[in-house]
Amino acid sequence: MIKRVFLLVLLALAPGAWAEDLQLVRIGILSHRGDEATLSAWSQTAEYLTTELPGYWFEVLPLDFDAVEPAVAGGQIDFILVNPGMYVNLEVWHRVSRIATLNNRHGPSEGYNVFGGVVFTRVDRRDLRRFGDLRGVRFAAVDERSLGGFQMAWREMRKEDTEPKDFGELRFLGTHDEVVRAVLGGEVDAGTVRSDILERMESAGEITLTDVAVIGQRTEPDFGFLLSTELYPEWPFSKLHHTPNQLAQRVAVALLNMPRDHAAAQAGRYAGWTIPLDYQPVHELFKELQLPPYPPRTVTLKEVVRYYGHWLLVGGGALLLMSFMSSWVWRLNRQLENAKSCLEQQHNLILNSVADGIYGVDTRGNSTFVNKSMERITGWSAAELIGRNQHEVLHHTHLDGSPHPPLQCPVYRTFRDNETRYVEEDLFWRKDGTNLTVEYTSNPVHNERGEVIGAVVVFRDITERKRAQERLRSHQMELAHVSRLSTMGEMASGMAHELNQPLSAVANYARAGINLLRSDECRTGEIEEVLERIAGQAERAGEIIRQLRAFVRKEQLEQAEVDVNQRIRDLAVLLASDARREKVRVVLDLDPGNPRVYGHAIQIEQVILNLARNAIEAMHDVSPSRRRLIIATRCRDAVVEVRVEDVGTGIASGLDGTLFDPFVTTKPQGMGLGLSISRGIIESHGGSLGVLSSSGEGTVFRFTLPAHVKGPM
Amino acid sequence: MSTVFVVDDDDAVRDSLRWLMRSVGLSVETFSSAQSFLDGYDRSVPGCLVLDIRMPGMSGLDLQEKLAGEGVALPVIVISGHADVPMAVRALKAGAFDFIEKPFNDQLLLDCVQRAIDVDLMQRREAADREQIVTRLELLTPRELEVLDLVVKGTPNKLISRELGVTLKTVEAHRARVMEKLQAGSAAELVRLVLSVRAAEKSSRS
Repeated sequence: MIKRVFLLVLLALAPGAWAEDLQLVRIGILSHRGDEATLSAWSQTAEYLTTELPGYWFEVLPLDFDAVEPAVAGGQIDFILVNPGMYVNLEVWHRVSRIATLNNRHGPSEGYNVFGGVVFTRVDRRDLRRFGDLRGVRFAAVDERSLGGFQMAWREMRKEDTEPKDFGELRFLGTHDEVVRAVLGGEVDAGTVRSDILERMESAGEITLTDVAVIGQRTEPDFGFLLSTELYPEWPFSKLHHTPNQLAQRVAVALLNMPRDHAAAQAGRYAGWTIPLDYQPVHELFKELQLPPYPPRTVTLKEVVRYYGHWLLVGGGALLLMSFMSSWVWRLNRQLENAKSCLEQQHNLILNSVADGIYGVDTRGNSTFVNKSMERITGWSAAELIGRNQHEVLHHTHLDGSPHPPLQCPVYRTFRDNETRYVEEDLFWRKDGTNLTVEYTSNPVHNERGEVIGAVVVFRDITERKRAQERLRSHQMELAHVSRLSTMGEMASGMAHELNQPLSAVANYARAGINLLRSDECRTGEIEEVLERIAGQAERAGEIIRQLRAFVRKEQLEQAEVDVNQRIRDLAVLLASDARREKVRVVLDLDPGNPRVYGHAIQIEQVILNLARNAIEAMHDVSPSRRRLIIATRCRDAVVEVRVEDVGTGIASGLDGTLFDPFVTTKPQGMGLGLSISRGIIESHGGSLGVLSSSGEGTVFRFTLPAHVKGPM
Repeated sequence: MSTVFVVDDDDAVRDSLRWLMRSVGLSVETFSSAQSFLDGYDRSVPGCLVLDIRMPGMSGLDLQEKLAGEGVALPVIVISGHADVPMAVRALKAGAFDFIEKPFNDQLLLDCVQRAIDVDLMQRREAADREQIVTRLELLTPRELEVLDLVVKGTPNKLISRELGVTLKTVEAHRARVMEKLQAGSAAELVRLVLSVRAAEKSSRS
């Protein structure tokens, strides 16, 4: 700009020339060797044109590779001088048209309007002789868009199946001179520049051509520079689309008329201008390289295979491997999924097909899972239970209505102290407010580090079982009662006799008393004595009645302490008639130290009576003088043992195993319930009943009852 | 003095019976078992036996049968608390004097006891009479015995004299001697004495 002002001032001072009359014409020039070089080379050409074309002021605008396109597109310039490659693009995209082709100067007089590219290396790199040798080497070029400095060489290399990507390294250094220096300096192994650069640099004294070895060298007639490529027309001087044709014609004429050795030509190192040449070779180059303006050619499969065959192979192999791997992983995954869902299914199946209720509790006491049975039993749905505090839902209240503190909850305590608990009987509340009796186990659950993370509770509704037990007990009691009635029935005549004794005695005494009173020698002492005896016998009769009634009575449910010895003494009264009838001597051998037992006195009496009557009957076939029934008690280890011994002929061998079964009997009138009921009674008292020994000499039945341990009352 | 023997294993019944018997002035001896009675019984003592039929050891019936077997004529009153008909029949067949069910009417028992005692006394007296007649019969000569036989058969003196081939007078003399020896006041008494002895002999033989 300063220069321009300076020129303007210069012109303004020129006679007859008015600055205002001058029309500015700008010439954009590709500065492939730097702006400074461009200005110094081409300023004089601009001056030449200014001189030749009055009324116009020509000015040089150096443009680097990137600046060309915007300058043309923006209309900042009127003419453009670029390499043929760029020209071809501008021609297509911006409709620039060449008006002259540069004649390049070689030596003092020669000029060429064609040029090529030279690919070279240092002379000592004897291994690099052909383009094919360039694979893997470090390569320098001017610019991706430089025709002589890259693209021409590329076209040639391609003919030998070498592509820029085959280089070990490809550097674009911006200018031809840098490329030359880089190659000769050993920074790269080879490089390419346009033809004539090497010669120019040698004439400038910068290099020596003997240091250079050309790769793929060729010779063309009438062309004097080192060359590796085909020849292409030199730089064209072009007008832009907006530049008036008239001006363009005048400029063309002026350029064509420039003498070869004009000062301007010398400054620009060229040898004048020639008519615009055919740039078809450049178009072909671009087509071949699929460079702009030509769209990338569709790559054929063959090329792909040719260039990327091994990668395709490797990639295909990798793909195959990957697909195999992923299908394997997929299969594995599916198997795992299947196994998992199978396990889950099984888990759920088990969990939900178990009749017991099962639920999990975390350490805050909240339910974590529940099974179907739990829903069914409690009436709560899983959604209502999970996440809620199980104790508050299920456990909150005792049967008597008093609250059940969480701290006492066995489930809470399980995950506090890490102990498995079995609770025999507890109360759960249903959703509808009713309750059920349950038994349950509470097991602590651990994580992988062994810490307690909650508990699993398995419970069972035992309401029905309890009811059944109750029914059974009441049934047993009923049965025992019936059995006692039946026993009494069998014993009735004996009982009558038993009552007859005191009654007869009473009558006798009374009559005796009356007679004494009537007699003359009435003695008060005798009367008193006889009355005493009457009272005694009446009491005796009363006692028998009392025993009878107590025995037949339907008994109350309460259990109490029972003095077994006393029971046996009382029973002896009831037994007396049978014993008398059967002429059996009854011997009681009672341990005075016997502790009391706890239970139903009448039921215990019933057992003893049963055994005693059986014993009496068992001695039917024994000679009367030998008949003897022993009822003995002993206490050992807090167990009261009662033995009933006879001297009968023993238990029939066929009855051994079934003796205690119901409806097994040897008596025509018996129901066969005696021993069965007796065993039931003793077992319900926590004892056992069995045959201690049996032979032809007699039989010993024995039962035991746990001694009553007095708790703190 | 007649004695009431009581055999009962029940102390109270035994004791009350003793009181009852004594209250009416009867002599009583009690035994708690059949065996002790057999051991202590004196046959010469008149009276009766009150026997409980059901006792351990030897029963009342056994005792009754044993006594009968030994020819003891002591009347036995069987008492029982069991209204057991077969047993009563058996007792009566075995010669029981009576069968009384407990609890019994005391008067009934006492009456029964009294009758039994009387029977026993009478039996004993008759037995003594027969004894005396047998002794007296031993004083008779064989000819006198022959005459007695025919007299008892109701044969008239004439036929007797013809049968024996002696004179009527001789017959009459024998007859007077027989009546004198047997201390019979009349021919009818003579017949009765002889028949009672013969009946007793017959029953003891059978």
